[in-house]
Amino acid sequence: MRNLYFVLCAGFFLAGLAATSIRYYLRSRQSSRATWEDLLKRLTWVDRDKIARIALDAIAETGEPRRGEDGFVLEPSEIWTLLGGLEGLEVLERNCQVLVELASYVQRWYPEALVVAEQLRLNAREIEWHVGRLKGAAQTGNLQGAFADYAQRAVATYYLMTRHVLELYEQASFPELAQLQAAI
Amino acid sequence: MHLSGLDQFFWAATFAGHIALLAVLWTRRRAAKFPAFTTLISFYAARTIALYVLLHLVDRHAQRDYFYAYWSMAVVDEMLQVIVFYELARKVFCPTGVWARDVRRAFLWMTGISAIVATVLTSLASPAAPRLIQVVMLRSDFFTSALMSELFVGMMALSAIVGLPWRTHVARIAQGFGVFAVVCVLLYTADNYFGLAQGSRVYDALSLFRRSIYAGCLGYWIVTLWQEAPAPRELPEAMRMQIYTLQRRVEYDLIRIRSWRRS
Repeated sequence: MRNLYFVLCAGFFLAGLAATSIRYYLRSRQSSRATWEDLLKRLTWVDRDKIARIALDAIAETGEPRRGEDGFVLEPSEIWTLLGGLEGLEVLERNCQVLVELASYVQRWYPEALVVAEQLRLNAREIEWHVGRLKGAAQTGNLQGAFADYAQRAVATYYLMTRHVLELYEQASFPELAQLQAAI
Repeated sequence: MHLSGLDQFFWAATFAGHIALLAVLWTRRRAAKFPAFTTLISFYAARTIALYVLLHLVDRHAQRDYFYAYWSMAVVDEMLQVIVFYELARKVFCPTGVWARDVRRAFLWMTGISAIVATVLTSLASPAAPRLIQVVMLRSDFFTSALMSELFVGMMALSAIVGLPWRTHVARIAQGFGVFAVVCVLLYTADNYFGLAQGSRVYDALSLFRRSIYAGCLGYWIVTLWQEAPAPRELPEAMRMQIYTLQRRVEYDLIRIRSWRRS
């Protein structure tokens, strides 16, 4: 009887291993074989002007935080409207993954670009973390209080990420730069 | 201990495969990049020679010596496999030379949970065998394959989740280990189910299958490690500096954004 339990558990274990392997193998392969067009297609359209407005309310073009009366003029409700609420933030979260893959695309030809791709990946994880916090807050009914702070940080991080990806393409003299500028 | 013609063929073929793989590792300069993996393959080749000498040239009745040698080497084998796993994990999760901050904790959790799951599963096995040592052997083989398969599959899943790409040769070595470990889980499950009480026919047949799969993995490693990874483009020095400056700015942005407060 005990042997039967063992075989059953080992069967579930093997099925789990096989399913996990296939799922993540396909995901990695899809990511590593993605063409330029595939990556661009995965970018969801966002209103750049609104993103810039939210981001530049907290930071200058250089990335320096705004101090004094210059900064944080937008009210939390305005940020919510401009961004389109939590859904808008989730779009940015998905786009971040594409931005990281766009940096990794450069890395396929120039391995030195790895350092930038890795740092952008960490920035993307930070945005995921902010969105995760807001989703948690939404479940506990505290979204209103937390939204402006976390959302504005996420938007500022995203905004700077887009600038840096463009800069990377410019430095690598990639012919796709113009197309990328139009897309992000 | 009697070895059939097929056993001797696999023994010789695996030895030849290890020597060929070592030749590839050294001639294609992969040994310096994968020192633990090279050590493991060297160990396998040396182990084959040592066990062959013990079995054929030393006192034919010294089964006990062979047995102790086999088990001591099995322990070393297990330790080396864990070191190879760590070597590959470092190459995936330390892309800039240090552990990616968001990965370290998840990696430790994955390793710990894998060990617990493998231990629980192994504790459920109760193979029937005439000697205690055979029971220990069947269960420890299962434990090893369960643990290694979890670690390799977990590493693949974690890297996909956090979005870290695999370099060509790291992926090939890990794929070989992962596939072999998963097949071994299946075969050792059958071994533990059927046991050795009714003789070793099933065990021998499964063992043959396992060795065939391993020979396939060896062939895969030989071919894929012989091939070169895609050649990178040459980066001008000025551009290299620009890229490193950009990386520092991206890092600095994150620190600054973390520090500001909305009043």
